[in-house]
Amino acid sequence: MNKYVKDFFHRGLIFGGFGPVVLGIVYWILSEKVENFSISGFEFFLGIISTYFLAFIQAGATVFNQIEHWPITKSLLCHFSSLFVAYTLCYLGNTWIPFEPKAILVFFGVFVIIYFAVWITVCLSVKAASKKFNAKIK
Amino acid sequence: MKLKLFIDPERDEEIIVYAHKKSSLTDAIEQLVSENGFELIGYTETQAVKLNPNEICCFSVIGEKVFARSISGDYRVKFRLFQLEEQLPDTFVKINQSCIANIRMVDRFDSSISGSLLIRFKNGTSDYVSRRQMKKVKERFGL
Repeated sequence: MNKYVKDFFHRGLIFGGFGPVVLGIVYWILSEKVENFSISGFEFFLGIISTYFLAFIQAGATVFNQIEHWPITKSLLCHFSSLFVAYTLCYLGNTWIPFEPKAILVFFGVFVIIYFAVWITVCLSVKAASKKFNAKIK
Repeated sequence: MKLKLFIDPERDEEIIVYAHKKSSLTDAIEQLVSENGFELIGYTETQAVKLNPNEICCFSVIGEKVFARSISGDYRVKFRLFQLEEQLPDTFVKINQSCIANIRMVDRFDSSISGSLLIRFKNGTSDYVSRRQMKKVKERFGL
């Protein structure tokens, strides 16, 4: 099996469990804050499965940035699209967003903004690191 | 600086230097040690040249072949990258899966839009530091 495929599954299996944990915390907060909050057994089951899948993909997709022979655009596109598909399926499957073009479009917009905000933060931190290195070699 | 020389055929050979700071003397010792016992031959289309590791900017894998990249040009070497990693002095550090960099030949660092750290060498070439190697590179630069 390809090293990167192995890495994808390895990371996914390690961190997948954090999805249901986060979901449990959200449900706990909702049950404390929202009056008469209740969900069916099926919704609960679907939530656990889908957030596990989401965390699995989120962790596994970090491999795309480490495939050293891939050009930047390819790894960025694969990372972005795999996360977008996973999040969209999870949110639609759990009816956290309605299955309507307008809602999906808004979701896409929010996703793009957050994704690139995180990306810019990473780029800025690397820029700061490069400054530190440059100061060291002078 | 004091010098103690112990001749002992039973022990592994090693040189340990305690200095208050880096100087021309410590540089010369490093160079002498790195050149001793490790013969690096670089090949071009027409000739074979003895290479001085201190003049190499980096060793890179290009199309499954390993090249020593210096200011005077690129030379193919007959070592695998892991073999070089074992034999090269501490001035060399692996920066990604296919490149070992000479930290003395780093011109400057840059950031790339992919969010990775780029090393620009004195020969004009560049390569990036993978996240996996970042910790080692930081340690080597004393960060």
